[in-house]
Amino acid sequence: MSERNSTIKIMRGSLGTMINQIEELTDSEYDLYFGPAHPGSGNFSVKLKVDGEKIISARADPGYLHRGFEKLMEYRLPIQNAVLSDRICILEPLNWNLVHAEAVDELMGIEVPSRAKYIRVLMAELSRIQSHIIWYGVFSIGLGFDTGFKMAFGYRDYILDIFELITGGRVYPAGYICPGGVRRDIPKSAQDKILKVLDKINEMIKLEKLENPSLRSRTEGVGVLSINDAIRLGATGPVLRASGMQTDVRKDDPYEIYDELDFEIPVRKEGDAYARYLIGIEEIKESIKIIKQVLSRLPDGDFIDPSFKKPKLSAKIPQGEVYIRNEIARGEAGVYMVSNGGNTPYRCKIRGPSFLHMIPVLEYLLKGAQIADVPAIYWSLNICPADMDR
Amino acid sequence: MSKEKEILDDFSSKFDVKVKTQRDRRAWVSIKKTDLLDISAWLKEQGFTHLSSLSVTDWIDDDKYELTYHLWSYKDNILITLKTKINRKNPVIKSVSSVWGENAQIHEREMHELFGVKFEGNNDLSPLFLEDWKGVPPFKKDFDWRKYVREEFYDKNNERESGYYD
Repeated sequence: MSERNSTIKIMRGSLGTMINQIEELTDSEYDLYFGPAHPGSGNFSVKLKVDGEKIISARADPGYLHRGFEKLMEYRLPIQNAVLSDRICILEPLNWNLVHAEAVDELMGIEVPSRAKYIRVLMAELSRIQSHIIWYGVFSIGLGFDTGFKMAFGYRDYILDIFELITGGRVYPAGYICPGGVRRDIPKSAQDKILKVLDKINEMIKLEKLENPSLRSRTEGVGVLSINDAIRLGATGPVLRASGMQTDVRKDDPYEIYDELDFEIPVRKEGDAYARYLIGIEEIKESIKIIKQVLSRLPDGDFIDPSFKKPKLSAKIPQGEVYIRNEIARGEAGVYMVSNGGNTPYRCKIRGPSFLHMIPVLEYLLKGAQIADVPAIYWSLNICPADMDR
Repeated sequence: MSKEKEILDDFSSKFDVKVKTQRDRRAWVSIKKTDLLDISAWLKEQGFTHLSSLSVTDWIDDDKYELTYHLWSYKDNILITLKTKINRKNPVIKSVSSVWGENAQIHEREMHELFGVKFEGNNDLSPLFLEDWKGVPPFKKDFDWRKYVREEFYDKNNERESGYYD
């Protein structure tokens, strides 16, 4: 009997808390999780505090993809790290190869042969184009515009075919751009194929223009980032340029052969999602211009420093430290590498552009926005959870 | 005199520091940790509005942490790296989030998690990547990750995993 009484007591108690909870729920504020296993978010989550349709505050919650590459690189030889550097960002492995290779080159004092520099820039720009195409694709699907998504991934495949021809891998080149140069020369047939693919990409950009109005109505005036906020929050690359800042690491802090090439930096003043998307499309056109110049000027010679053709695994990295900056599709990529004279780096800090775009910039832009605009803002930042988590 | 040299000369005369020029657009400066905030504020006024990166290097043999602040000037296109050493046992330093805003704040939050450096004045140093982490900060040189993985994830009696215990 007494047992039954106590059960009833407990039931009453929990009913009481339930009533309390219901009272709390009738309040229009609630939490909404966007990600990390959401098809529209990538491997990353944002916790949104929502009042009705309006977002009161957003809190980024990274770490779903954290692999600790910086620590792992301290235990690996540069030749192994070249392969690891692919994985920093899934969507543009060649660009990350390049940043890592340049850091080792500068620490070891290697003079990279000029043909290798041209091939490196060629690959980096092809990689930028395919990354921007993915950006366009995921941006479209985020807004429910399926045609754009399918078109983008279809055309991206042409570039992946070239990657397969040159590096052997469609997505991951396995450290194709390595310390000293590149792993192998580009085949003779590659030049014509690349030019044909560039024509295809031009075709895609023209098609994309036809579909514009539906994208435009969802993105214009959404997620506006002023230039001062952009700098304070650490935005770089297309996001910063869409807010009106004329800057590009390739121009301001030139590496490889970018100072010899002729290209423009697209800039827009509006700072909204639509402006960021337009910057992406403009940058594809500029990259096509760069690739055509590189192909017409490609010099003969070695594609890798002769001493690196058969890499000595016991080779020591001279003592020193360097900070390398590159312009990758998402913004500014950096590698800070320290060596104390051993054969592995003593410390390798990787600065990914998405680290700033996905945490402070995203949190700032989502505050005060509508739920329906979350995908537009999120994908307009051209983000990659992999390079943030590393 | 080039603009770059002018800025570096100004810097070294104002704060009594030695500027090492590595190559074009790269300068490295070692500073005292007590001067950090003054120098940061001055450099920001000079146009170094972009904190490109903040990193910690664990010099375990010297018992020191070295903090490096990579600062880029959009105006003059030059990168200055500030380096300062702090005690490894009691790693405390003033936060620069008052100078570079949320950008610095998030970098410091990452470094606090991975190295355990305390940034005084940073109001949010909550964990970023690691959930329910109880061990020492994992990027320290004395953190034995092989041992950690063996203890936390592997089973000695499992045939396929026993190879990790020798």
